[in-house]
Parts: sequence; C-alpha cells; structure tokens
Amino acid sequence: MKSPVARLIELNPKGFAVPGHERTVLGNGMTLVVVPRRDVPLVAFHMLLRGGALGDAIGRAGVASLAAGLMDKGAGERDAAAFAQSVEGAGGSFAASAGPECISVSGQFLARDQALMLELLADAVMAPRFAAGEFARQRQRHIGQIRALKDSDPSELLSQYGRALLFGSHPYGQPAGGSEDSLQAVTLKDVVDYHRAQIGADRAVLVVAGDIDPAWLKTAVERCFGQWRAAAEPLPQLAPTLKLRHRRVLLVDAPGSAQSYFWLGATGVDRSYRPRAALDLVNSLFGGRFTSLLNSELRIRTGLSYGAGSGFTRGRVAGEFAIRSFTETRHTVRAIDLALRTLSRLKREGITQAMLDSARSYVVGQYPMNLETAADWAAQLAELELYGLTPHYIEGYGPALRSAGLTDARTVIDTAFPAGRQLALVVIGDASQVGERLERYGRVQQIALASGSFS
Amino acid sequence: MNRPGSPPLPRRLSASAVPGLAPVPGHSAVRSLVLDNGLKIIVWSDHSIPSVALHNWVRVGSRNEVAGLTGLAHFFEHMMFNGTARHGAGEFDRLMEAQGGSNNAFTSDDVTVYQDWFPRGALDLVFELEADRIQGLSLDPELIESERGVVYSERLLRVDDNNQGYLSEQVQSQAFIAHPYRFPTIGLPADIRGWKAKHLQAFYRTYYAPNNQTMVLVGDVSHEEAFALARRYLGRLPRQPDPPPVRVREPDQLGERRVMVRRPAQMALLQYAYKAPAATSALGPALNLLLTALVEGNASRLQRLLVEQRMVAQDVAADWHQGFDPSLCWFWFTLAEGVDPHTARDLVDAELAGIAAGVLTDADLERARNLNAAAFWKQLATIDGKAHLLGEYEVLRGGWRNLFQAPERHAAVTRQEIGAAARLLLNPSRRTVGMLLPDAPGAERTP
Repeated sequence: MKSPVARLIELNPKGFAVPGHERTVLGNGMTLVVVPRRDVPLVAFHMLLRGGALGDAIGRAGVASLAAGLMDKGAGERDAAAFAQSVEGAGGSFAASAGPECISVSGQFLARDQALMLELLADAVMAPRFAAGEFARQRQRHIGQIRALKDSDPSELLSQYGRALLFGSHPYGQPAGGSEDSLQAVTLKDVVDYHRAQIGADRAVLVVAGDIDPAWLKTAVERCFGQWRAAAEPLPQLAPTLKLRHRRVLLVDAPGSAQSYFWLGATGVDRSYRPRAALDLVNSLFGGRFTSLLNSELRIRTGLSYGAGSGFTRGRVAGEFAIRSFTETRHTVRAIDLALRTLSRLKREGITQAMLDSARSYVVGQYPMNLETAADWAAQLAELELYGLTPHYIEGYGPALRSAGLTDARTVIDTAFPAGRQLALVVIGDASQVGERLERYGRVQQIALASGSFS
Repeated sequence: MNRPGSPPLPRRLSASAVPGLAPVPGHSAVRSLVLDNGLKIIVWSDHSIPSVALHNWVRVGSRNEVAGLTGLAHFFEHMMFNGTARHGAGEFDRLMEAQGGSNNAFTSDDVTVYQDWFPRGALDLVFELEADRIQGLSLDPELIESERGVVYSERLLRVDDNNQGYLSEQVQSQAFIAHPYRFPTIGLPADIRGWKAKHLQAFYRTYYAPNNQTMVLVGDVSHEEAFALARRYLGRLPRQPDPPPVRVREPDQLGERRVMVRRPAQMALLQYAYKAPAATSALGPALNLLLTALVEGNASRLQRLLVEQRMVAQDVAADWHQGFDPSLCWFWFTLAEGVDPHTARDLVDAELAGIAAGVLTDADLERARNLNAAAFWKQLATIDGKAHLLGEYEVLRGGWRNLFQAPERHAAVTRQEIGAAARLLLNPSRRTVGMLLPDAPGAERTP
C-alpha cells in the first residue's frame, strides 16, 4: 500500500514554510527580527537574553529568575503599579521568566499600542528599578509559588528534583527558578550585580510579529534600544553534561499522598543532535502521543494511571530525557516496573515500518497547529536565534521527517534513549507506604517534600 | 484602525479609542446547517493553516446526574474512545493518529465536548469515526474496569492530592442544596467504583442523540464539503426523543454558608462561591468586565490589594461558571505563608463592599475593556480558539451569531451597569465561603 504520509506532505507544504521576515543586527549587537502578519489586530514580541540561570552563583539559584520577575516591578519612570497600569490599561500582557540558558520576556499588545509596547519593554530590560520593597515581595512570592505547588500540584516539581539528581552541580542541575532555601539566600545586590554583568544588548534577540509596519518598527526599535550597553561580563560557558553510570533513586516524602508521582530521567541529547526528525518520530511513538507505548501500557492496557509520557529537553548541551507518570500509592512498583520494561522493549525491539509511518503522519499533521499565531512565530524565531540556527531548521524539517527511515530510528534508540542503569528515579509519594519497596531500584535517598531544597 | 505613523512616536498613539470595534473578520465565512435528524453543523472556513479543528458539543454533563451515579457523564466521555462494533478498542486513536490527527475531550457541569485536530486530508476518516462512536459504542465490561482505574487516578490527581481541588469540591457541595450542580464532575470515589455497564448504556441511549449535539468545524474546509460529509456520515442517525429536562430549581440562598477543612499544607486557602446567573444572562458582558477589573493582572483591584500592597495572598483567580442554569462565580485565594484566612476574608470583603457601592474607577473600566478585547482577539487567532468560541456561543449563549456581537456588547457596558452587576453578584448572603487551614505536619489528613 502506498504510504499516506508522502501524500500528506505534498498536500501541505505550507505547514513548514517560515513566514516572510527581516533580520537586522543593531550597532550594539542586539538582533531584531520583524515578522509582519495581519490576521488579528495584535502585535506580539518575544525577547530572549542569553545567559539566564547560567549566571546564578553557586548556592544562589534563582537570581536570574528574580531579575526577570522584577523587570516589570518598576522600570524607567514608572513604579510597579504604574507599569502594570500601563500594560493592562492598554489591554496588553507582559511576562518575564528565567530558564537554564536565557531570560525570556514576552507579551502581546493591541496593534495601536506598539509604540507603548516597545517603550515598556526597553524600560523593563534596560532600566529596571530593583526597589528594595519590590525585591522582598517578589522573593517571598517566588518561595510561595513553590510551596503552593507542593500543596496542590506536586508533580509539577518532579523535573526540579530530577535534574538535581541527574546533573548534580552542573548548571542544568540547579533549579532555574531557585529553591525555597536558595531564594532565601539571594540578596538585592545579587540581582543588581546580575543585571549589570549578564544583561545587555549583545545578549538580546528581539522578535516582533503581527500587525506591524516593518520600516516604522525598525526605526522605533533603533530609537528605544540603540543606547543599550553590552553586558559587563562574558557569557558563562557550559560544560557538557555526563551520563550516569549507576542508577540514582530519590524519594520525596509526601505523607498521606494518595498517589506516587514518578520521573525516570537520563542525560539525553543537545540542540544540534542531527537525527532530530527521527528523534521526534521515535519519541512520539514511545511517549509523545495518546497511543504511545508508555500511555498504552500504563493507561490504556492496565488502567494504572491517568497518563504517561516522555520527552527530551535539548539545550546547548545535552539536557534530560524523562518519563513521567503517576499511580495510586499501592501500585507504585508495578507502574515503575512497567515503565522500565516498556523502555527496555523499545531498546530491544525497536519500531516497525508501520509505526514509523504512523508517527510521521502524526508529527507532520500536528505541526502547523504549533506555529499558528504571530506569538507562536515570535517565540519560535527567537529560539532559533538563541541556538544559532537558521530558518532551514524549520524548512528542512518536513523533508527530514519524510526521509527518516528505520535505520535512523535505530540510531536514535541506541544513542538518545538511555539504558536502564543510566536512569535517575524520583518518586514523590508517601514514604511510609512505598519507601522500602523502592530499594529494588537502587540505594534510596530520601527528602521531605516540605524541605526547602530539591536535593 | 489607528496605525503607527512616522518614527518619532515613542508614546502610545491613542489613549481613548475603544479597541475591538473593528468588525470581527470571518463573520461571512461562517455558515450552519441543521440535518433532518436535528444535528446542527456550524462551519467557519479558514485556510490560514492546512488543518481543521472539529468540536462536537453534546448537551450533557454532571448537571444531568443523580446521587449515587455522580461522575457518570465524565466517565462516559472516557468510554467514547474505547471501541465500537466496527472499530475495536484503541482503533479510534490509532486510525486518527496514523492520518495525522489528535483528539481530546472535556466534561463540565453542563456539556461534554469532543475535539479533533487534524490535517484536512483526514476529514473523511474523522467524520467516519465520529459518526461511528455516536451510534455503535461497545461498552466492553473489561474496558469499563480498566477505565475505572484511569478515572480514579485522575480524581486523586485533581482532588485528593490537590488542596485547591479538594476545597473546591467541598464548597461546591455546600453551595447547592437541590441542584445537581452540587455534584463534582469527576465523581465521588464510591460512585466511580460503583457504576455498571447498564448505567452507561442507558446514559448513551438517552443523551447521545443527534438532536442533542452540535458539531463545529473550523479550518481548511469549505462549507459545501463539510455539509456533504455531515449528510453522508451523520444524516442517517435517527432522531430520538429529547433527553428529559433538568427540572430542579435551586431555592434562593438566604445566608452565608461556610466550610472549614484542615489538611497538611504549607499555605492556607480561601475560596468564595457566589450564586451567579446562567450563561444567557443579559448581565454577561458587565459580569465579565467586573471580574476582569477585580482579578486579571497585577493592576486589578484584588491583585493590587492582596498580592502587591498587603501581601496576604500569593495568587488570586476568579471564574464565572456559565451554564444552562444559574450557577456560581468563584474566587480562589492562595494565601501567603502564615496568613490567617479570616484576616484575608476581612480585607477582601471590605474591598468588595466598596466595589459594590460603586467605587470602580474609569481607569478600572478602561483597563477591563481593553484586556477583555485583547483576550477575545487572542482566542480568535487560532482555529481551535474559534471552534471553542463558536460552540460556546451556540450551545450556551443563545447562538453562534452572538459571538460576532461580543466586542460591541462589551464596549457598550457602562460603569453603572458594572455597579449593578457587582451589587447583584457580591452579596455575602448568597455565597459559600471555604477555608483550608494547614494542619500540623504528620497529622492525618481529612479522609
């Protein structure tokens, strides 16, 4: 039978087309990408500032996160209340957060307010006030956010525990948002120093997409950002991450928890990993869609869990591959065993041509809906700049998906998916119920969910 | 619309123009058709991406349940993916994914909505699969048992291991004394364990009638094409008797109700659930703007007071549940560490009393209008957002055409109308207050 996939790709070439855009580098090193698009009267911006939590000092995780969080809490001529009123009074949105390798500042305004939008963004990144009262408030709020998750959605913290267990003292092992303990240690001076040392025009890429006039916008950006200085210190370097030699197990004790929430992770691959089309296809089959092997086993076949999935985080160096799921406390070992067996099965048996064809249709068919809006494109193009990639990364993706075969799938399974011994296991659950039973996976370290640190 | 002019314009261009009054694009691209069996199809043809969103709205939710069988509508939603006489268990997803589609579904108090997102090449398949499961579901006993485990795990995730979810369930059950809106949509634990195949079969026969469903398609599909597919695949389903109406009318609430829960927790929680009008209420736009003014964004009245100025709350959120019958308007306060919920309540109540007495400013109103307009446009920027809005307006808000009046209706709301909405809504005698107090670590949690 003719594969339906080739037909779909031929019918849908525009799914992988990058919209027309203009790229400029300002005299001070800031990169500007402009994407005109006029479906709705909105303008989106996405700015990435290289560095992010890489600039956090040891034991002070959360400095970059607080610097980002304080950008709109008073900047330029506006205090925090006036800034919020300016953004929201115009119906706009503005958000800033720190990740392991960059600070991300994004928002969306009605098209008629784009001059205001640029002015607010320029103030926020170039001239934040860092007022002492706002700093104290923001730090307390960041700590509170972690505690609120522990009360109402602890599984959201699995990857923080997991990365700490897997990557240890490597920057990828530090929580980009900080921990309760590390945030307590951060001072206002840390934040001010971070801003001087790590934020500047040479670190910035700005993408503006939507209902805009490119010529006007470029001139306005020059005007708002042209005087921005460079960051005072060099971009922190990132050492490679290492694979685990022996399994590590962390039990996060949540007394009375009705379920166990678990994470199985290993060092995966980086952003430049070449067979990434095959990687996406195989992960889609393993844990990236509803009928994936993991979800079929843990949800569809056994009813052990509401869901199970897997994914790769690919940074400048190799981030984690992780499996996530959860189950009623009494089924904890059964569910973890099943996840491990499913991974072994993938490693041993690989995938079939029929599975590969199905995954290809799926990834191709879903792709256009991930890049539908001006804001989607702003985020995507900013990320390409961050990792030094060109639009070919997107345009070449369709052909790469089409040509990926079983040999590529096998390569991916052998090189990117981990062997069982390389895994780190985190379980958030009731230690009095599951503690001893986890020893079969390795020596168990234990920490209380209420503890202020992720390791 | 104002457009930016020459470069030296670093300030905003127009402070007073009301946004969102440009005509909503696409009005003429929407057409609808009612089949002979009563099933309505609404199609918004939009070729911006080569994809289609299909949402099928079924007029059934936990509102149609009875005590002892709570959660049945939601459980049934899960069973709709578990096989028919023609397509065995799992085939629905396998076939759809193999042609590039994905899907999901959700159940609320009022409706169950099935969603498919797929490349236009899969149109035929998706119609075949949807028609098949509307008429030929298997309800295999073994699959009922394994799906029971899945739903139980979902309940533990959302309620039992989630303090916010746990308190909401308690508040909701106190807020109504008669109406089935008191049932948690996920279902009570004993009910999840208890339902049988016969309950599911009766539910299927009663509610999954073509005349009880509305199908919305948005995306790379023409009206003619969609209507032809609908006639071909869905036209033969027999019309059925209309499902029995929900006759219960909740009696007026005459005094504040309170729920106090103690659980292991780091932060105390405070929740309000005010009695609120049904989705079709003429006060709708005023209520939307009132809630935006109160809780959306750092400059909103309650965020500014509780989070920024007094630091008693970590987070504030609100939602007006818009259903077929009068329901609730919720306020959720995650309190800052060590804050007593009674202290937070007193602060909130003083502020809300001021709002009800009319101290919302013109700046509050303009801010709410602009945020509301921007949120509307953001939702219209995707085929999925358009499909959701069309379905919501058609099923819950008096017809899909009202969607295109939304910007004008919100722009026309006056400060006086918001004041009236505030006085109606923010009446302490018509609310239920929930508090969750942290227990000492290691203490037994409320079962």
